[in-house]
Amino acid sequence: MSHALDVFGWFDNEYDGEGFRTCSVTSFDVHRSVENYVKLYGVTAVVFLLIGGIFAFTIAMTRWEAIGLLEPGDYYRHLSMHAWSMLIFWIIFMEIAILYVGGPMVLGRKLPAKWAAAAGYVVMLAGSVLIYYSIWTVSGDPTSDNAPLLTAYVPLEINPLFYVSAIVFLIGVTLAALPFLLTLWDEKRENPGKTLPLVTFGAFVAAIIAVQSILGGLIAFGGALAWQLGYAPWFDASIYRQWFWIIGHGTQQINLVAMIVVWYLVTHVIGGAEVVSEKVSRTAFILYLFFIVMGAAHHLMVDPGLSAGWRIWNTSYAFYGATFASLIHAFTIPAGLEAGRRKRGKGGGLFGWLTSAPWRNPVFASSIFAIILFGFLGGITGVLMGQLQLNMSWHNTFATVGHFHSTVVLGTTLTFMGVVYFVIRTMFMREFVSPKLTTLQPYLYSGGMALTALMMMYVGILYGIPRRTAEVVENIPGTDFSIAGAAPLFDVFGLVAIFAIGGGALFVLLAVGSLLFGDRIEPGDGDLAPDGGSTTQQATDSRTIAPRNDLEQAEDPDDPVHAYEMRGTFVLCLIFLAVFVVAYILNWFLLTQLWSIGA
Amino acid sequence: MTSPIKPPEGNWWDQPVNRRESIWLGLGVGWALVLFGWMSAFTRIGDQNPIGETYRVTSEELQERVDEFEAAAEERDDGALVPAGDDIYVVGYQFDWDGLPVVLETGREYDFHLGSYDVQHGFSIRPEHAYSQQINLHVTPGKEWVVPMEFDEPGTYHVLCNEFCGEGHRGMHNTIIVED
Ligand code: HEM
Ligand SMILES: [Cu+2]
Ligand SMILES: [Cu+2]
Repeated sequence: MSHALDVFGWFDNEYDGEGFRTCSVTSFDVHRSVENYVKLYGVTAVVFLLIGGIFAFTIAMTRWEAIGLLEPGDYYRHLSMHAWSMLIFWIIFMEIAILYVGGPMVLGRKLPAKWAAAAGYVVMLAGSVLIYYSIWTVSGDPTSDNAPLLTAYVPLEINPLFYVSAIVFLIGVTLAALPFLLTLWDEKRENPGKTLPLVTFGAFVAAIIAVQSILGGLIAFGGALAWQLGYAPWFDASIYRQWFWIIGHGTQQINLVAMIVVWYLVTHVIGGAEVVSEKVSRTAFILYLFFIVMGAAHHLMVDPGLSAGWRIWNTSYAFYGATFASLIHAFTIPAGLEAGRRKRGKGGGLFGWLTSAPWRNPVFASSIFAIILFGFLGGITGVLMGQLQLNMSWHNTFATVGHFHSTVVLGTTLTFMGVVYFVIRTMFMREFVSPKLTTLQPYLYSGGMALTALMMMYVGILYGIPRRTAEVVENIPGTDFSIAGAAPLFDVFGLVAIFAIGGGALFVLLAVGSLLFGDRIEPGDGDLAPDGGSTTQQATDSRTIAPRNDLEQAEDPDDPVHAYEMRGTFVLCLIFLAVFVVAYILNWFLLTQLWSIGA
Repeated sequence: MTSPIKPPEGNWWDQPVNRRESIWLGLGVGWALVLFGWMSAFTRIGDQNPIGETYRVTSEELQERVDEFEAAAEERDDGALVPAGDDIYVVGYQFDWDGLPVVLETGREYDFHLGSYDVQHGFSIRPEHAYSQQINLHVTPGKEWVVPMEFDEPGTYHVLCNEFCGEGHRGMHNTIIVED
């Protein structure tokens, strides 16, 4: 039944007369339309990851000034390409795929408005190509044609085509999200009394935040364009910054919610986790919905013209409402794993549930490393630098770059790499070309990237190295001064960055290799079972193989999951809180060593 | 019954919450209040706050004020300005800081007037003797931000720009000399 254009046999799964098949891993009723679009968006995302990764190499080798790969003018073009390929194209194409999984696939429905999924894809792609064109053709003349970087801050003179392309991309995303929203609409009309599954509920929250963000983005980019064309002379730097960060920050919160949704899904499907409290988890998602949009303000902590009260209220998401929500998930996700595994006899002692987990399964390992590293590196630093006063020592330093590589790379990208592996196995139905390397890859990438992010933070905080610059350690043009003391640290940074990029390249090789050359898994093959599936089938250690039937959902209402021990999780969370408190105190200590500033 | 990919059944809202989970929720609320409380309190009791009056200005007005400031100041042999009063101006433009270099005294509070003539810049300052002591503030055109500062240690303080402002951005450096 393969389509003539489908030369790789990527879209030729067997479906029943209605176009459905039952997934042997998740037991989802998967409709052809949903699955095909998930594949399409997913594969496209990986291409953008590859492009972004090439630019990660060129910019990292420029910031490592001992190598000094690029000329400054080229540096900013490459940096812009890196930011848009990675943060926007790779992540958002993946997120559309995740919405289609979280909505129609989980609910066992067809994809409604397929035309919107197709049109959205084409328009997003067109927007991406236009953005690439407008970045790559920048002349670099400071008075007329600057590289946009991620932010395209008004009133820097930037090619108007760039703002137009960004708007085109946003329109594409809106179209692509439509089938997800329609799915929920149909589901609710057909089953008014039924509660949505937690994963779908979370995806819905992500979609609402996406709507807010897209509106903010249209105002920011549309306003900038109108200002450039002379229609809105009143549109200025501060107004742009506020609206830009509605989308700039909002998209990060979409990443956060989407990744949490994946964590609930992966720990459940592969690790046997359960939801320890629907009430608590859902309340946490609702808290995001209420408070997260305020987070845009934490990019404006050291901006002029905003009252201290306004900044404190907003940066704290009103008494840290959204931070509290994240603290909740930090407990409920591992607790779900702990209680779920204990319930199935998979965990003795304090951490038996964790040591017996399927660590060789790359889907599982990616998500778990993401949870840990996102929390410890990204989450803690985010709250620190989001405090009004501490922001003075973080703002626009290389440490900021370290913070967001901990969130969008160690968190989101790592998680989404696991999703790609999952899609390869369960939807493309391909074995990995090298199970051993696939098992290893999340370890290499997260290790390398964690060190890279830590080095970024280190040179940023302790040496005040600025972000977004091509030269500062070896030489600053026009002066004898340079921050030469940081040069040895940049040697370390350069090496670990190469290591991390290697881990990322390995991912692309394995993903593309498996899609092209991986053996096909025939429908009904039992080895797709979660713990026994994936690479763990090769494992000789019997502890890592947990047959699916063991992890079957326990249906017994007299054996509620909340009654199981959560000691291990509790201890882990206390360690997390302790690290948080220590980092907080250290940062404040450093700040109070400074000369006095401020009214 | 408690799968994240199946609709929860029955009265899931009233299901009890595990004791350790409840304790963690309590700790979370407590920590959130500490974070909020300390940040707010520090604006009253602390010595390091990014707070000051902001005024709207056009680039021309700002340029005039800086010119007046420079005219009133005394110029040393090394080209550094010794300000006449307690107000000093540090205004970014592609690609330098107007109003610098200046010579300041330790233990005296100055009102820094921060601004920009053209695009957004980042005011990033650190003393040569301790890079880890650094402060970063954002400057935008159209705003004059008056932030008081008082240095307690003499030394050369380097001001860099840490917001991308065009191709010459990396060379945007100047100094503040603090003397006893
Ligand atoms: C091995 C992988 C990576 C390395 C070595 C790397 C390295 C870097 C470096 C050196 C910078 C420039 C810092 C500066 O001069 O300001 C940068 C910026 C950035 N990176 Fe990455 N990166 C990697 C992966 C990623 C990924 C996966 C994402 C997103 C999902 C990402 C998002 C960004 C963004 C948004 C910027 C900021 C651009 C701007 O300032 O406008 N990076 N990265
Ligand atoms: Cu943000
Ligand atoms: Cu600059």
